[in-house]
Amino acid sequence: MLGSFPVAADYAALLPWFVVAIVPLLILFVDLFFKDASAARRGVAVGLAIVGLVVAGALAAGQYPHEYAAFGGAFVQGGFSIVFSEIVIVATIATLLLSIGVGRSDQVAGTTALLLWSASGAMLMAGAANLMIVFLGLELLSLALYCLCAISVRSTARESALKYLILSSMASGFLLYGSALLFGATGSVAFAVLATAPVTPVLAVGAGLFLVGLAFKLSLVPFHAWTPDVYEGAPLPVTAFMSVVTKAGTLAVLARFAYAALPSDHAAAILAPLWVLAALSMLIGNLGALAQTDMKRLLAYSGIAQVGYIVTAFAGTTALGLRYAILYLAGYTAMNLGAFAVVALMARDGDAVVGLPRFAGLAYRRPWLAAAMTFFLIGLAGLPPTIGFTGKILILAATVGAGYAWLAGILILGTAISAYVYFKIVRVMFARADLAHVRDERSSNPLPWIAVTVCVVVTFALGLVPYTPSNVLPLVK
Amino acid sequence: MIVTALVLGPIVIGLALYAVPRERIVLVRIIAAAVAALAFALAAYDPAAPDASLRWLSRPFVASFHLGFNPISFWIVLLLALVTFGAALALNGPRARNIAVQLLVLQGAMNGLFLAKDLLLFALFWDLMLLPVFLVLLDGGPHAHAAWKYLIYNLAGGLALLLATAAFGMVSGSTDVLYDPNAHIAIGIVWGTWIFAGFAFAFLIKTPVFPFHTWMPDTYAELPTPMVAVVSAVQSKAGLYGLIVICSVFFRPEMLQARTLMFVLGAIALIYGALASLAERDTKRIVAYSSLSHLGLILLAVFTGSQLAIQGAVVYIVAHGLFSAALFLVLGAVEQREETRDLLRLGGLGSRNPKLAGALVIGALAALGLPGLAGFAGEILILTGLFSAGVVWPALVGLIAVILASAYMLRLFQGVMNGPDVPDLPERRDMTWLEGFAIAPLVIAFLALGVDPGPITSLTIGAHTAAPVNVSAR
Repeated sequence: MLGSFPVAADYAALLPWFVVAIVPLLILFVDLFFKDASAARRGVAVGLAIVGLVVAGALAAGQYPHEYAAFGGAFVQGGFSIVFSEIVIVATIATLLLSIGVGRSDQVAGTTALLLWSASGAMLMAGAANLMIVFLGLELLSLALYCLCAISVRSTARESALKYLILSSMASGFLLYGSALLFGATGSVAFAVLATAPVTPVLAVGAGLFLVGLAFKLSLVPFHAWTPDVYEGAPLPVTAFMSVVTKAGTLAVLARFAYAALPSDHAAAILAPLWVLAALSMLIGNLGALAQTDMKRLLAYSGIAQVGYIVTAFAGTTALGLRYAILYLAGYTAMNLGAFAVVALMARDGDAVVGLPRFAGLAYRRPWLAAAMTFFLIGLAGLPPTIGFTGKILILAATVGAGYAWLAGILILGTAISAYVYFKIVRVMFARADLAHVRDERSSNPLPWIAVTVCVVVTFALGLVPYTPSNVLPLVK
Repeated sequence: MIVTALVLGPIVIGLALYAVPRERIVLVRIIAAAVAALAFALAAYDPAAPDASLRWLSRPFVASFHLGFNPISFWIVLLLALVTFGAALALNGPRARNIAVQLLVLQGAMNGLFLAKDLLLFALFWDLMLLPVFLVLLDGGPHAHAAWKYLIYNLAGGLALLLATAAFGMVSGSTDVLYDPNAHIAIGIVWGTWIFAGFAFAFLIKTPVFPFHTWMPDTYAELPTPMVAVVSAVQSKAGLYGLIVICSVFFRPEMLQARTLMFVLGAIALIYGALASLAERDTKRIVAYSSLSHLGLILLAVFTGSQLAIQGAVVYIVAHGLFSAALFLVLGAVEQREETRDLLRLGGLGSRNPKLAGALVIGALAALGLPGLAGFAGEILILTGLFSAGVVWPALVGLIAVILASAYMLRLFQGVMNGPDVPDLPERRDMTWLEGFAIAPLVIAFLALGVDPGPITSLTIGAHTAAPVNVSAR
């Protein structure tokens, strides 16, 4: 299949990806002309990146109604992959707003380029319909992130990067081994062939290992232990990026694999362990978050649980469930990035270790920031008037409708635990505190406010109008 | 239009109050009271105001932002406006503005809850109304145990409600069904039991009913006076309201099955609440436990399901709202003067503050069910309804609790107002005009309702021939 000679239409399908992958070269080139540590240097790098992402987003939007099966069906662009790509693009733009002030100014071009390459990996994963493209996208995403984790001068940054490198490589190992077995069982790396192949033990084991690899990347319990440490050490914008873009890209692969690459009569049996992982993630993710006082660690555990909610929506692989998973992912992107943007605004350089005590009396010191944070936390806890509420009820409905009422029950249980996690922060912000002992740092970079505002609007508006595009069933060709 | 304004108006104006400087207590008071008065006028102006409806979801089930008056919620909205008015005038102290914000947000959210004609919207407002109370409780102190207790209990109920609502929507295809006489929904036995269990769990926690009541005394004791008046008067009725308009319409068989259990729980609440009220020293907790007892009686009525008992339940819901708010406002005024709520420290205030004593005695008499006041009207309708439906032993327990009510209410009054002067209590002026103005509408309302509960009972019957409440038709 890969042997067939690529044609112009194949490259047209990759156009948005090309833009995101090429702009970093331009950024690095332009950066060569700057010698001083000026603000303009940061501005040009991030500005170019944002322009590139906007162009890519617009190009991708134009492809939404089409279905391109490029490179012999290895990369399927349109509908499903576009929605995921747009989430990745928007999240990357928000991350860039957070990252502009972080680090030395001669590093900003490099950081920005790596962020874009990482995002392009996620975009590749969104369209991947072939085991090799999945791996290509995943490694592109991850390799850039290893460097990004290590870019901070903190000592924990190197620990974070090394941990991420080793454990993520192990996940890649699982994924590769699973892919090899799948190839061995079917003689093809194409999802389309897997879907029609006879089910053999080798195929089942291969699919299982492949899913384990994905679960590692999604940090589903029990493959989650690396997440809090890696998140804690990485620079704040990188953590924000990882918490959304890595998950979006991997969820796209998981959805395409679960919905389109498994023989339909055996899919339920092969995927059954996945729902157990989702259930464990919702419970243990939230329980783990209870004890955290560092915001990044807390949001890491919260992210584990939130991905559990999204995977729950896949239960029974119903079309409705997929739509609500995407809706909730979009909502999670807004709520989570919003929370990270608030944290970024609380550190002078946009990347300090922000512990829970730093939020003491925030409602009295910086009421707008506290209000925004409260809104995001309410949303993450699944309370109205946010997409957290609407998205959760839709996932519940889809899960119950698919016959997985027990999973819906676990989701409710996890949400109940999570209330304590999120409202713990609300309590610290609103309870009266001795403000004299609180460090009141403010970020010198006001751009995260844009991210905060957009995220508030999206969180609220999606809750009222929970629009889900209809053209999102993943295809293999 | 009117119904939308009743929901969004208070929320928007409430949030806008954050723009008012913290020291301008009088301005805050005026704005909050004006909003409440306006809400009362709006609701009373046109009880037949048209519904407002906007499609929310079409998949996987139909749901709408559907708000509209119905015979029960009309009265509760009026009650809420009256209580909020009184509470707004009682705003005081450095936290006044922040409490005013949450007071108005709470009013809007609860208007939404009672006006909702869509189950999912009901669930939305159910969760939304937790937040203002939680935030006010947090504001109170560094530990905020009461805040956690309140949130965890009520959110557990809210999540059960959410799951039940999702399942209801999937089974019935629509949640836009409240008060819809054309909605013929058959929920099978298997699902029915589970969904009913989810709803009942939420409603029993909220009411609260033994054994889910432990959050309630703490919450009532910790909340500032204006907030506790509203929460005890109206928010505690949300569960009973849900039982009447949701469970007794869509889950009649399940309600019948759960009847004995609920009678037992109601009876326990009736007696336990009364005894705890007799044993408490904290004035606010005395009223809190008395609420537990009174609401147990309403629970009995709701599960009896006879027309008469349900009418009595609605009358008693409104009556209890009026007198418990009045009691909390008076006791709040006492607390503000004497800086204590301890019954053993208080005493002898009656001779110095005769007006305050008068207000307390009227509230206490209404609470113990003196004929001619609203409490009596509700109690007699409920007890008659119970006896006539053949529910004898719960009715007898209810009677005992009514007798115990006299004991604890008189003990409360005696402890605060009678007896010799306590020398180390500060001397303070009698009730002010403002305090009188806050309580007067409540007193007038429960006097009027005690003389003639007809408006409530007739409206309830008249508009309910179609569907809800008419449980006796089973």
